[in-house]
Amino acid sequence: MASPTVKTKLLNGAALFLLLILALASLFIGKYPLSLEGLLAGDELQLRVFQTLRLSRTAVGVIGGFALGVAGFVYQTVFRNPLASPDIIGVSSGASAGAAAGILFLSGGAAVTLSAFSGALLAVVLALALSSLDRSGKNSSIVLAGIAVHALAQTALLCLKLMADPERQLASIEYWIMGSLNGISLYHIPGNLLLCAGCLALLFLLHRQILLLSAEEGEARMLGVNVGRLRLFILLIATLTVSSVVSLTGLISFVGLMAPHCARLLTKSNRPGTLLLSGLLGGSLLCTADILARSVGSAELPVSIFTSLLGAPFLIFLIIQGRQD
Amino acid sequence: MDWVMDRDFFSASDICAGYGGKEIVHQVSFGVEEGSLLGILGANGSGKTTLLKALCGILPHKGCCTLDKTALDRLSPRRLARLCSYIPQRSGISIQISALDVVLMGFNPRLGLLEMPSAAMKEAACRALALVGLGGWEECSYLNLSEGQKQLCILARTLVTDAKLLLLDEAESALDFRYRYRMLDILRDWLKKGGRCAVVTLHDPGLALNGCDRLLLLSEGRVLDILSPGTDPLNKMEQRLKAIYGPVSLQKCRGKDDSVHLVMLKEREME
Repeated sequence: MASPTVKTKLLNGAALFLLLILALASLFIGKYPLSLEGLLAGDELQLRVFQTLRLSRTAVGVIGGFALGVAGFVYQTVFRNPLASPDIIGVSSGASAGAAAGILFLSGGAAVTLSAFSGALLAVVLALALSSLDRSGKNSSIVLAGIAVHALAQTALLCLKLMADPERQLASIEYWIMGSLNGISLYHIPGNLLLCAGCLALLFLLHRQILLLSAEEGEARMLGVNVGRLRLFILLIATLTVSSVVSLTGLISFVGLMAPHCARLLTKSNRPGTLLLSGLLGGSLLCTADILARSVGSAELPVSIFTSLLGAPFLIFLIIQGRQD
Repeated sequence: MDWVMDRDFFSASDICAGYGGKEIVHQVSFGVEEGSLLGILGANGSGKTTLLKALCGILPHKGCCTLDKTALDRLSPRRLARLCSYIPQRSGISIQISALDVVLMGFNPRLGLLEMPSAAMKEAACRALALVGLGGWEECSYLNLSEGQKQLCILARTLVTDAKLLLLDEAESALDFRYRYRMLDILRDWLKKGGRCAVVTLHDPGLALNGCDRLLLLSEGRVLDILSPGTDPLNKMEQRLKAIYGPVSLQKCRGKDDSVHLVMLKEREME
């Protein structure tokens, strides 16, 4: 039997191979089919579709899914809660309210992206600031602050929806909330992807510290960890990672929940290899969901439909398995 | 009575601590000499764990703790962890993580934020696991270990920290008879290296009487007395232990190697 380290390496190799295959498929599958021959022959239309639409869409699918998987691992470990996700501190609802404000008061896709990013960041800063009022620095105070911020952001979103023009703006807000990789322009993504890549690198470097936070607060403190500061720093980095993705794509459910669970079930550990596998599985899931979203119906469907369709049965499987354990 | 001496390696003075505004430990003072093991005995709810948590700074408290002339109360978590190591009653680790990785956590105070444990540290962690009887269990998930094995794993983690003060909170509670004495032997060997001392709360008075140099008796958050089992008369110790456990008698027994052991018997309650 292979040692756990070898097994994790093999799993990561297989997941990387799967992600590469899915990324290649994502480049060529869609309403306007592309072919390698056409691209190599210099077909102008095919090249334009490839450069302006498919390349950016695939990059966001791969890197975005990877980022959501890694961030999910971090949230679940730091909060010591297998159901923790960016929603727990109000990131998603902040991004939704920000996007809705962008759709209502600003013009252009880039402005909506920036507005969603600002909303997500504002929600996190508010949640962390509120939690810092409780000097005990407990996980529960961050969760409670997150619930409060989530409720505030939802109220703001409702108000913005009431103000929206039902014909165009309200539909745009709803579509954004459902999440999609459609229409992401190559010109909008470099800043987000750079920020995302930087945060991901930092999270990998901080893996040992993330594991230390999985111990109880007093225990972690006696291992030399400044629990309050380190937790805030790591959560901020994880949240920036998520914000850089959801501000481009809209809300994407279940990737951050499912990918780390799958990785842990496969490796039975929480080593850096498992963190990497969470990312690779997250990327694979989002790419699969995106391919399905653009291929199944006659019109483009929201990607969250497919991530949720895959995620909900998995969650039920987890609950059943937990009961059996 | 003054239980703090100038020659003490570790001293706690006027420690008061509690939860939610309710004081549980009241003005506890004591000292521990270099190379010695102090046991804390007390009934359930007497404040043993609260005292230990206050000593290592997990719990806000009044009073001060000094280790080798260094005041512990204002140190950063990192500096404190280099000097003082704490074994909780039960570790809060709740994720799949190997026994080796748990022990490697003990090196954290000596590592930079982004630094990884070296090969030498991994070897030292494996040796510590072998010392506590967990050789060969390095890759086993901590969550899959028995409660006793978990305590031994946390003991191994504590040993690699190379701290000057060990605080153990009922570290023997899940261990079987053999490993309870094994744990004390490991602690004794650790203390022999010099510049170290240990404070341990115990449930088993027999283990405490035979394994500790001195015994602090805690009752309702106050120090009842500090005994020296090796030198104090039996009747004096009986009287003091009676205040915690009810009627008891102490007897000396000789082992096969002619060593003297103290045995505590529970006597019938008088009407």
